[in-house]
Amino acid sequence: MIMRKNVHILIVSTFLCGTPTFAEAHAFLDHASPRVGNTVTTAPKEVVLWFTQQLEPAFSSIEVRNEQGATVTAGKATAGGDRTQLRVPLKALPPGSYKVIWRVLSVDTHRTDGSFTFRVGP
Amino acid sequence: MFQNLWPVATLAAVLAISTTLARAHEIVGNRFFPATLTIDDPGVNDELALPTISISKTGDDPSFKQLDVSGELSKRITDAFAVSFSPTWSRLYAPGGPAMTGAQGFQNVETTFKYRVIKNAEHEFIMSVGLSIEWGGSGAQGVGADRFTTYTPSLWFGKGFGDLPSSLDWAKPFAITGQIGYGIPGQSKTTTASIDPDTGEIGIDTEFNPRVFNWGGSLQYSMPYLKSAVVDLGLPDFINRLIPIVEFSMQTPVSNTLTSGTVTTGTISPGLIYVGNTFQFAVEALIPVNRQSGTSVGVIGQLHFFLDDIFPNTIGRPIFASNVSTGNPMFGR
Repeated sequence: MIMRKNVHILIVSTFLCGTPTFAEAHAFLDHASPRVGNTVTTAPKEVVLWFTQQLEPAFSSIEVRNEQGATVTAGKATAGGDRTQLRVPLKALPPGSYKVIWRVLSVDTHRTDGSFTFRVGP
Repeated sequence: MFQNLWPVATLAAVLAISTTLARAHEIVGNRFFPATLTIDDPGVNDELALPTISISKTGDDPSFKQLDVSGELSKRITDAFAVSFSPTWSRLYAPGGPAMTGAQGFQNVETTFKYRVIKNAEHEFIMSVGLSIEWGGSGAQGVGADRFTTYTPSLWFGKGFGDLPSSLDWAKPFAITGQIGYGIPGQSKTTTASIDPDTGEIGIDTEFNPRVFNWGGSLQYSMPYLKSAVVDLGLPDFINRLIPIVEFSMQTPVSNTLTSGTVTTGTISPGLIYVGNTFQFAVEALIPVNRQSGTSVGVIGQLHFFLDDIFPNTIGRPIFASNVSTGNPMFGR
């Protein structure tokens, strides 16, 4: 009886203690440059996104659109850093509001997507 | 005299327990719907809530303290269909229990089958339908577990407000979730025989088992959403992982109410949820809405693991999973 109880404790302990070892997760946006919802005075040359998990770059993308819905990116998104970073070059941006739409696949095959805006202007 | 109130106490205890069982979490576009504590949320996922601990004073007369320790394992069969199992262990402090000396034991095990019917990322909307079954006789009668099975068809929904116009940016992190269900007992009445300790006479008590309308919801403000989708204010990481929330969970007997009455009971639960990458931790107050729901403010806490994130390639994925890494996986939700 005691042995059986100990086995149960061992199983639960192993599970809980093992959690960080196995941990991967959905990739959420951690922060961005330009910062989410903020206004920058000089037009950025690229958008850089940092995620909470590593990405599969081939299946991850960034779109940036102006207020008319036109794409203002100047190339494809590429991974950087330790594959938690995704960046995309931009055309010259006039003052205005821009929407960043990101879609990523984390290395454990979870899909996530999201969007935010930033402004260029005084 | 108080022993005659035991059937009513049993009903109240079972209704209270039924509000603390099933939970889930879900991601819909920008929106993360956390697992809620006193109601189920609309999500379908692989997850483990262990433990959930609540302590409160019941609405019985006389009132007594009740401790509940529960767990829940939810397993996806397909991407949109999951089955969950929820055992709960209860301790009733004196004067609770049939002999008013306290009691402890397991409540009936509950199984929930849930199917997600709508998931709209653009409007952050999700809806699921399902059936919960509380297996009669699987728990201890001493803590109020019914001898009959109860079937509760339910509907759950969630809506984030990220699609509001930009003039209402401040409101975009808000989201609501809701749950409605109709509890149908497997038998309409329960008859028990008891011996009067003074006279030795045998008495027959009949308790009518009501059909109960379960309704609840939550209002939540997501700091993770604020930071990643509306405006990054440069707040500390701990703050950016919090979701302040208010839940409410109500039960209204609607038919076969001869012995139960029709008074709505329930709790309102303000609290905080901390969201990690693979787990969440939550604490909420349990504020009874009336005397029949409890006599003082209780508390509930829960540690919840996202198995789909912890074990993405084994037990954290649906048994019959779609393969996202082949074909065109570019997010055709």
